Amino acid sequence: MSEKLIELKNVSFFYEADEEDAPPIPALRDINLDIHKGEFVAVLGHNGCGKSTLAKLCNAIYEPTEGTVIVDGIISDSEENGDKIRRKVGMVFQNPDNQIVATIVEDDVAFGPENLGVEPSEIRRRVDEALKSVNMYDFREREPHKLSGGQKQRVAIAGVIAMQTDCIILDEPTAMLDPMGRIEVMNAIQKLNKELGITIVLVTHFMDEAVKADRVVVMDKGEIIADDTPRKVFSQIDFMRNHSLDVPQSTELCNLLNLGSDVLTIDECVSKLASVLGGAK
Amino acid sequence: MSPALEIKNLTHCYQPGTPMEVAAIKDANITIEKGEIVGIIGHTGSGKSTLISHFNGLLKPTKGTVLVDGTDIWSSKEALRNSRFKVGLCFQYPEYQLFEDTVFKDIAFGPKNMKLPSDEIKRRVLEASKLAGVKPEMLEKSPFDLSGGEKRRVAIAGIMAMEPEVLVFDEPSAGLDPKGRRDLNNLIKAYHKKTGSTVIIVSHSMEDIAKLVDRIIVVNKAAIAMDGTVSEVFSRSEELKSMGLNVPEITEVFARLKAMGYDVPLDVYTVEYGADRLRELLGKGVGK
Repeated sequence: MSEKLIELKNVSFFYEADEEDAPPIPALRDINLDIHKGEFVAVLGHNGCGKSTLAKLCNAIYEPTEGTVIVDGIISDSEENGDKIRRKVGMVFQNPDNQIVATIVEDDVAFGPENLGVEPSEIRRRVDEALKSVNMYDFREREPHKLSGGQKQRVAIAGVIAMQTDCIILDEPTAMLDPMGRIEVMNAIQKLNKELGITIVLVTHFMDEAVKADRVVVMDKGEIIADDTPRKVFSQIDFMRNHSLDVPQSTELCNLLNLGSDVLTIDECVSKLASVLGGAK
Repeated sequence: MSPALEIKNLTHCYQPGTPMEVAAIKDANITIEKGEIVGIIGHTGSGKSTLISHFNGLLKPTKGTVLVDGTDIWSSKEALRNSRFKVGLCFQYPEYQLFEDTVFKDIAFGPKNMKLPSDEIKRRVLEASKLAGVKPEMLEKSPFDLSGGEKRRVAIAGIMAMEPEVLVFDEPSAGLDPKGRRDLNNLIKAYHKKTGSTVIIVSHSMEDIAKLVDRIIVVNKAAIAMDGTVSEVFSRSEELKSMGLNVPEITEVFARLKAMGYDVPLDVYTVEYGADRLRELLGKGVGK
């Protein structure tokens, strides 16, 4: 197993209640989780299960109430360390319109490295590379507000990459996108992971996206209730449904036909069905 | 009987008369009969939001007419006002629009604006709460103390309480977890069945659309590109893909089997239906 990038040790997190004297609200309870360099981890769970809180602990937007978060050897227990961690772990959120700051695509991507005080020639190089890596280089001189949702999200991802982060955490990046936008963003994420070795943590409600990860972490009521390969996790159909989740349609179909529950993708489903249909053409 | 909604030769231009003029919807014609349940799909920027904003006069056509229950909504001030009550628009993330201090007051806001008597307002709030799955004990709570899914149902109840003849949902289940999505789909179906009113659903989820509607309207490049039954539209998967859309995963599975030469049906949009058809094929003893 490769080196650990993010380590959560006995992490609990409580939100302050709005009303005075009310007890703090628990969001995460005694979480232990290691994310290794180069992994692609999907995090699933129903609304309110704590997965966004988990994401924000991983890049030190929050500090844990109890326990320790360590990112590449740095403990997230001070502002200063938080800044260091955020240079290693970048974040992309759900709404593309809330993440764009500049009026030209390449200026938007340059915003992060400029703030880090990177040399102008180096910024130019990083911006070009980052835009190419998400297939948005041809749009570098466009106005971001005129782009589609999937294009805007890819610009946001490029902005994170230009800061040369080791890891990108994406919190439901495709929730507001149309089908093609979802495919574009998923392709970009997979490419960054496979070709550049960037560690990916993807929080999502779409089971077909989680299928593409190396590992799926399932959360409920602030705890991790499953942590395994997509094939193992999605073969537990009743377990997933009981926790407000689902399985891909391909998995469901094969299961209904008693063809096993370890089918994950359209390709696998088609070949499984072809094998039982045999020569019945 | 007049149709619930008629769009005739509708064109809408943003910034008309300037060099920036751009037509967001061009010469669209749609007729939706009373009691229909219709889906609208189209990529981001295709013009579908512009289109639905005309259904109750939030936008004024640059050209063309909008008839609600047979009346041109721009023919008088009163007709326009009535269209706001007859056609309810439930926008994306409607929970962001909650503002009252109790759930009851929030749901009552629409009927109050309609100047209904207070006992009628109360009846409608209770009825709509039931339809939208808002539990009675929530009514005196602050909407801000509810979970995201509950807030969304409160916002939906607020529109249902106006008892619109046409209810338009724009991305009703965006951001919800799979169970939240299933629950909301069931809620919309039950609402349609129980009230018999016209329902229009805009969605990026082909799976949800397949489960909910009888007819699909496809918007592409500011025009109506397709308008037909679910099977008519989803049988054109290549065209849909070229428009930035897709077909449900299960439909794709059957299309691939067909392409491999298997004699499977192509009109499969839900997993249950697909499993039934395959069981029949396997039951005939043609399998291995």
